[in-house]
Amino acid sequence: MPDAVPTQGAFLALSGISKRYAGVRALEGVDFACERGKIHAVLGENGAGKSTLIKIIAGVVQPDTGTMRLAGNDVSFASPSAANAAGVVCIFQELSLMPDLSVADNISIASPPRRFGLIDARAQRRRAEELLAEIGCEDVNPLMRARDLPLSRRQIVEIAKALGKKPQLLILDEATSALTSADVEKVYAMLARLKSEGVAILYISHRMHEVEALADRASVFRNGRHIETFDKGMRSTGDIVQLMIGRDIAAQYPPKPARKAAKPMLALENLSWEGRLDRISLSIGAGEIVGLGGLDGQGQKSLLLALFGVLRGVSGRITVEGREVHAGSPAAAKSVGIALVPEDRKTEGLMLPMSIADNLAIASLSAISTGPFVDRAKESAAVKRAIARLQIKIGAPNDPVSTLSGGNQQKVVLAKWLMTDPRIILLNDPTRGIDVGTKQELYRLMRELADQGAAILFYSTDYDELIGCCDRVAIMYDGRIVRELEGSELTETNIIASALNIDAAVNGGAAHA
Amino acid sequence: MTSASLGLSRDDRPILISALFILVILAAGTAYTVARFGSAPLLSPTYLLQQLQIGAFLGIVAAGMMIVILIGQIDLSVPWTLAAAAMMATSIGGPFAIPVGLGIGLLVGLVNGVGVAYLRVPSMIFTLGVNAVMRGLMVAHTGGYAPQTAATDLMRTLAADRTLGIPHALFVWAAVSVLVVAMLQRTALGRYIYAIGNKEAAAYLAGVDTRRVTVICFVICGGAAALAGVLLAGYSTKAYQGMGDAYLLPAIAAVVIGGTNILGGRGCYLGTLIGVVLIVLLNSVLSIMEMPEAGRQVIYGLVIILMLLVYGRGERVVS
Repeated sequence: MPDAVPTQGAFLALSGISKRYAGVRALEGVDFACERGKIHAVLGENGAGKSTLIKIIAGVVQPDTGTMRLAGNDVSFASPSAANAAGVVCIFQELSLMPDLSVADNISIASPPRRFGLIDARAQRRRAEELLAEIGCEDVNPLMRARDLPLSRRQIVEIAKALGKKPQLLILDEATSALTSADVEKVYAMLARLKSEGVAILYISHRMHEVEALADRASVFRNGRHIETFDKGMRSTGDIVQLMIGRDIAAQYPPKPARKAAKPMLALENLSWEGRLDRISLSIGAGEIVGLGGLDGQGQKSLLLALFGVLRGVSGRITVEGREVHAGSPAAAKSVGIALVPEDRKTEGLMLPMSIADNLAIASLSAISTGPFVDRAKESAAVKRAIARLQIKIGAPNDPVSTLSGGNQQKVVLAKWLMTDPRIILLNDPTRGIDVGTKQELYRLMRELADQGAAILFYSTDYDELIGCCDRVAIMYDGRIVRELEGSELTETNIIASALNIDAAVNGGAAHA
Repeated sequence: MTSASLGLSRDDRPILISALFILVILAAGTAYTVARFGSAPLLSPTYLLQQLQIGAFLGIVAAGMMIVILIGQIDLSVPWTLAAAAMMATSIGGPFAIPVGLGIGLLVGLVNGVGVAYLRVPSMIFTLGVNAVMRGLMVAHTGGYAPQTAATDLMRTLAADRTLGIPHALFVWAAVSVLVVAMLQRTALGRYIYAIGNKEAAAYLAGVDTRRVTVICFVICGGAAALAGVLLAGYSTKAYQGMGDAYLLPAIAAVVIGGTNILGGRGCYLGTLIGVVLIVLLNSVLSIMEMPEAGRQVIYGLVIILMLLVYGRGERVVS
């Protein structure tokens, strides 16, 4: 009886909740309940209505119809602070830290400890230390500015900030998507403790193994409707995926072609940068997908930025098809056929308020201009082709790109670059926070691009992805490439061992450091 | 979006409101003159053309200012760029008067652009400094007295004369407007300007040469200020100290009233045109009503704040 959701004794119960945005249905007649002391996973593709559900519970948006009961009382939250006051605290997918404030300032931003009406900095620092210690991350310095922390650590601070609000119902919306494996363990332990203290936890993640490891119960959403709620162990992963997408998925990753010796498209020799990159040499052939693995913050992102001409003072040699290039800016990198899908699509990949068409065309305007003037016919044809090629789901090309779901936004970023016909494609964790269906489309597209002769350098925090997609994976540690894995060596054990820079058994083939 | 029901985009609403407000100003002014003098001079073509001629100087300054505001910067050096161009043009005289005046403006714009784009000094500070430097240079040049030079005939013809009853300054303003609209809407440069204003990091990572675009925008703004200065000197037959001081705030106000986001990235040129007309008419009607200077300043400031409050409504962050 998976549909018999017990609403009696439930801590939070929603019934008949509907929400529309400008005529587009986001949620329709949703009944949903969660209990104290349980971790409840909410599953669904992007656009399934999960985010809207969370926003309604957290008071960010108000439902059109339906009622919400918290601990037996009817409630309706006019704002997130009203929800916080009732013990409902949400950690959103988009990080909400003020980059120029310290970690301690950020954690206590809503209600800092005061003395004589002024902020008590010492008490605030102590509070930050205590909260970080609760998660097991005492090593984060509360006086550091948020912008100087790596993404993973910023997410930890975000979690500490939420804990500081003493949640009765804690919502994590993709709050672990940027965490490194070490930090994930700490967050799991913290969640288990909160659970034993009777906190109700709603957990949203696109990583199935996280859901399997954590959740006591799961609810699947699809197209704005609640499809099914079931307890742990009642459904297999395959069942769940099928419930989410409503269709079968044959193979998660496209097959890898047999490796043939290709001439190197991109070659690096002794690339170094300010102690963050240490004499990196790597070669990527045409038609090859090379993964960048390792723990977070070992220089993978710096390497991609160095190749794209963003960093100043990079030493070493970069050759493209045998010819040395000096990419001093992204514009120069673009002119030799390099493309970069950046880490944060919302601030680096897209001009959010601008239209889909403007975002798509921005990198290739010089190719579709006659003299200084943009050829509008050529432009709209190129935009149409790009939208069709990546099957981007849009209303109209002139809609703001902010109206798209995360997965479709990422497709726009990629499509923008494909319009420039790049020979070398650099990808910085492109599947972060993207639904299963879109991920698979991206994997297929990567392989297709490689088959057409592009060289792809792919950084991912998801080992599964590296193993499934890449012909070869270079593991970085402390700014160096410590090992390259390929073929049968490419296993999770080897990746983790290399990432920690320990010499575990490497199957089939000698390791070279 | 509330205006969606009217078939208006987000950008059109401020334009519509400003246009309505222009009618309100004209109606109020006319009601006053009819009651007081029994005539309606505000509605005569002569009066309106006269206002547009005065508006041309502000309009040209505002066109340049809008481009700099669109990339999320500001140019506070406009007053003394304008005055310097006028003073150098009149003191050089002869056939080179106008090219030298414009050259001064382009040069100041180049310095501003390099300071903001390459030296990474915030534009509010850098252009304020450049304004002070230009002022000092001009005081040194003239010895602190009103320059004893006169505008050339060509400058006078361009600024003050009329053909078929239409002031030449209006033709210059129209030409500037056509160039700006073509640049913003049809060229890659225009797209880059909006892209930088929306998210400079994303534009940079898309391979846009953001520093070059920034420099170009400041050069355009400096050139526009210089053109206005040369015309204004022609109109008043001479250059004078502080002739640009009355143009900085009205230019920014016109751009913002016309719906351009002061933080950059959004706005269309038609709005700036209407903003200029609104400000010129507001000033003129207040002076016809014999409002004392102090009262005019207060009303003028309140109108700008009020308009921005009206625009601010109904715009919520899209998440």
